Amino acid sequence: MTEEAGIPTISMGNVPDRMAHIKPPRALLVKFARGSMFGEPGNVKRQRRIILDALEALKTMTEPGTIRELPYRWQQPDPA
Amino acid sequence: MTFDLEKFNPAYQRWVTESLPEFRAGRMAEIVKRYPFVVSDDMPWTPYKGQPSEQTFALVTSGGFFMKDSQPAFDTVSIHGDPSLREIPKTVSQGDIGIAHAQYDHSLAEKDINIIFPIHRMIELEEEKIIGRVVATNYSFSYVNDVVTLVTETIPKFISRIKADGVDVVLLVPV
Repeated sequence: MTEEAGIPTISMGNVPDRMAHIKPPRALLVKFARGSMFGEPGNVKRQRRIILDALEALKTMTEPGTIRELPYRWQQPDPA
Repeated sequence: MTFDLEKFNPAYQRWVTESLPEFRAGRMAEIVKRYPFVVSDDMPWTPYKGQPSEQTFALVTSGGFFMKDSQPAFDTVSIHGDPSLREIPKTVSQGDIGIAHAQYDHSLAEKDINIIFPIHRMIELEEEKIIGRVVATNYSFSYVNDVVTLVTETIPKFISRIKADGVDVVLLVPV
C-alpha cells in the first residue's frame, strides 16, 4: 500500500515461501534466522553493508518483484 | 487496492471461529497453517527516482518494538494479534525498547535492536551524507492476524503520516 501511495519500498526477507505470499516489490533475501535480518548482534559492519546493498537495490531493481539473494552467512566475514 | 477485503474478511472470520479452541490450547503453529493468506494478483510499484543522498528514509519493522516507558506493549494474547503501530523516535536507544511479539525469538534483538531495526546504522549513513536524512519518527508493527483493521485503519494513518513527514523511501524489515 505504501507503493500505491507513491513511495518506493525495499523489503528484507529470509523465507522465500513467505515472500511468495507477500510479494514485495523489491526485496533482499538473507540467509539469517527469523528476527535477525541484518545479521549478528553487534556486527556493525555487516548491518551497514546490508543497508548499502538495499540502497544499491533501490537504484538497480527496475522490475516489480525482483528479489536479490545476499551471500552473507552467520558469523562469517563478508565476501570482498 | 490490491488487497481484496471483501473476499478476505469472511474467510478470516471463519478462520477465527474455527481456530479458537486450538488457539486457546496453545496450538498457534497449527492454526497458522490454515490462515487464509491473500496473495495479490498484481504488485504495486512506484519507480525509484533520485539519489539516496538527497532523500528522507523511514524504517519500519514488524518486530513488536515499543517505547517501554511511554507506550503500551502490543497485545500478544489475542488470536487477532495486534494491528496497531508504535512510533519509534530516531533518538531511540537500546534501553528504551521493549519487545512484545510471541511468534519469534527476540533474545538477539534484545541485545541489539539494529538487527531488525538498523536505526543507528541509518543515522551513521546520514552523518556521512550517504543518505539525506532519517525521518524523526520511525515505526514498529507486531504480530497481526487481523489484516482487516491493519489495512483499513492502521496503514492509511501510517501512510498519511509518512507523507506529511516527507518520506521518500521506506525500508521494511519483517520478522
